Amino acid sequence: MNAVTLMVVDDSMVFRNRIARLAGDARLGVKVVAQAENGLEAIHQARQHRPDLVTMDLTMPEMDGPACLEALRTVLPGARILVVSALSDRSTALRAMARGAHGFLLKPFSDEQMVESLQELMA
Amino acid sequence: MSGNRLKVEDVKVFSDAALGFFAQTTGHKASVRTAYLLDGAGPIVWNDFQGRIELAGRYRGSVTFSAPRGLLTHVLLSIGESDYTDASHRDIVGEIANQMSGQARRHFGEALDISPPRVLSPEEGAASHPAGAVPFVIPMQWERYEAHLVVQMDKEGGTPP
Repeated sequence: MNAVTLMVVDDSMVFRNRIARLAGDARLGVKVVAQAENGLEAIHQARQHRPDLVTMDLTMPEMDGPACLEALRTVLPGARILVVSALSDRSTALRAMARGAHGFLLKPFSDEQMVESLQELMA
Repeated sequence: MSGNRLKVEDVKVFSDAALGFFAQTTGHKASVRTAYLLDGAGPIVWNDFQGRIELAGRYRGSVTFSAPRGLLTHVLLSIGESDYTDASHRDIVGEIANQMSGQARRHFGEALDISPPRVLSPEEGAASHPAGAVPFVIPMQWERYEAHLVVQMDKEGGTPP
């Protein structure tokens, strides 16, 4: 069986690595195939690696999260996207969902919250 | 900060964001110690790494999270990060500033314009006191380390001291 593949998009290297480590949890069986630190790089990596899942921050340089979300929907119409953001108002979450996100996880998050969110994304 | 123009709940938004970062990200809670105004002869609050957001609108000024290298190295260790370069340390203070920005947007709404988070050197932090705003310092204890939240906020249109 092929592993579910994931791309992690966040301008913080430390938090990209953290999400990648948590996604590698044996319970999930997810393989991280790409990381990107901004929206433009995310689009490039998405075309190259075609991940099944994407986690992405909304506040990033080059291309911000909402614009990146719309572009990813076009490049990866079948991928499921989890927005991971410190922008915590309800309207931000609703706008993200309207642009094609399948889930929203508020920063700061615990290890367990990230694993559960990934499980829900894969369900 | 001038006089008592700042509301406690408006400052608490920032300390709560920093406390939330430690509790959720590391699983170990931080605590807030007695806050004070930073006059010219105040103790050293500009540590090795600083993350800052700047404010305009209802308040003008900035909020800076300042932490020593040891604290940030310990945070990296606690989340399983094996890269202990300066870039990783800067990432942590930048992320705390990012989370202060997110909670402030929720609390203040459109009444406050908040800049993207910036990571500063200690020299830059110490050299950039906005005129008319005396910094308000909130010491934070995490594990055996002390960090500082430096709040320089004044109401828009307020009279400089």
